[in-house]
Amino acid sequence: MPPFQEKSLFETWPAIRYVIYAIIALILSVLHVVFLNLISVSSITPDLLLVLCVWIAITEGQFIGIFAGFGCGLLFDILSADVLGSNALAKTLAAFVAGYFFKEKFTDQTIGSYKFIIAVFVSSMVHNLTYFFFYVRPTDITFSGFFLKYGVASTLYTSVAAIFPMLIKAQKLTRR
Amino acid sequence: MYRIIEFIVRFKEYVSLSAVVVMCFSLMTFGNVAQLGGFRSVVVGGIGWLQSAFSWIPNPVALKSENAALRELNYQLSDERAKIRQALIENEKLRKLLEFKKQTTYPVVIADVVGKTTTEVRNYATLNKGADDGIQEGMTVRTDAGIAGLIIASSKNYSLVRLLINRDSRVAAKIQRSRIDGILVWEDDQTMIMKNIPKSYDVKVGDEIITSEYSNRFPQNIPIGYVSEVRDDQSSLFKKIIVMPAVNFTSLEQVFVVKMLPNPERVALEKEIEDRWKSRNSNQR
Repeated sequence: MPPFQEKSLFETWPAIRYVIYAIIALILSVLHVVFLNLISVSSITPDLLLVLCVWIAITEGQFIGIFAGFGCGLLFDILSADVLGSNALAKTLAAFVAGYFFKEKFTDQTIGSYKFIIAVFVSSMVHNLTYFFFYVRPTDITFSGFFLKYGVASTLYTSVAAIFPMLIKAQKLTRR
Repeated sequence: MYRIIEFIVRFKEYVSLSAVVVMCFSLMTFGNVAQLGGFRSVVVGGIGWLQSAFSWIPNPVALKSENAALRELNYQLSDERAKIRQALIENEKLRKLLEFKKQTTYPVVIADVVGKTTTEVRNYATLNKGADDGIQEGMTVRTDAGIAGLIIASSKNYSLVRLLINRDSRVAAKIQRSRIDGILVWEDDQTMIMKNIPKSYDVKVGDEIITSEYSNRFPQNIPIGYVSEVRDDQSSLFKKIIVMPAVNFTSLEQVFVVKMLPNPERVALEKEIEDRWKSRNSNQR
């Protein structure tokens, strides 16, 4: 008779993952609006919600990533008083791109390596290109200059912030 | 039917991406969060409460900037104090002579800035006074230096200010010295540009910019900033006037909410004409 194996909470009820993602997204959105001013460098802040979207897309795949991006973006639009749908669109496209880094059964290895930083960098670039394109449309501001000033800097800062979850995952992998 | 389902299942990522993108564009056409109605007030209240609870955390960058700004202001004030005294006496005499009506002064509510988002391109501030103190959407927010923004939402105890340095800011402004009118819009970071000023008009670096009487949002004659640069664009008939706001948004801590709302009749009329123009333009297309 095989020995009794206790099932983890995720195995018993897989949907709990999505509940946890939703809670983390809510916490990160509030953190972004309330505290991120304190760590801004020349008014540039890292997009922690985008890091979460990339994480979800790499862990769950492109299909789930799209909806995670949409949900996170919409949540941020509501909390930050931004134009409804602007962040949702940018994060949906970013998560879609991040989905190309998804490799079933190798998700932990992807997140725990430099590939995660590359995924965040590429997704953040797509996110900022989309967001700033629609942002400057009703104004006289030139897109290229504005993107080079804010978009590239924000992408770099977000990629630097993504190093921390990558290191945590890498440490967990080495412990195994 | 089976083929359609098979197609959707096979390309579910692309189908769902298309559906979500369409949904995002539909949401963007709504314009802003104002359409969420009462829910928005809950969000403003919740965020305001959180920002208020953690407002004790010092921001070294803001403190340094505030210190520098206060030193400069102190220097200017001590210099201007003597001039103002003299001007007041003269003004009183002239008013009596010309029988001018006294300028209307609106009541103000003093509020603390409990939260601020001046990162990247999202420039908003949360105040610790709301509808209970008589603050309503559309009221002007200013400091001793000048215009700071406009109230765009309020809950019972908190209100949200769209700062002047914001993409959606448009102010009917006037150059105080030469009385030239123009529209002031946010350009980038901490600067604004004054539009529609022909090249032949008299504009100099250092000219003070104030709110115009044409503005239906802000009370007139409130300082906005000063001209920091005048550029002559060869390809345009107009000057490019760079304006530096008078308010230091990095160190914004206490503000005055001017209890004045735009005339609803004027706003309704202007909106009606604008809508008529929009519908005419879309019909012509």
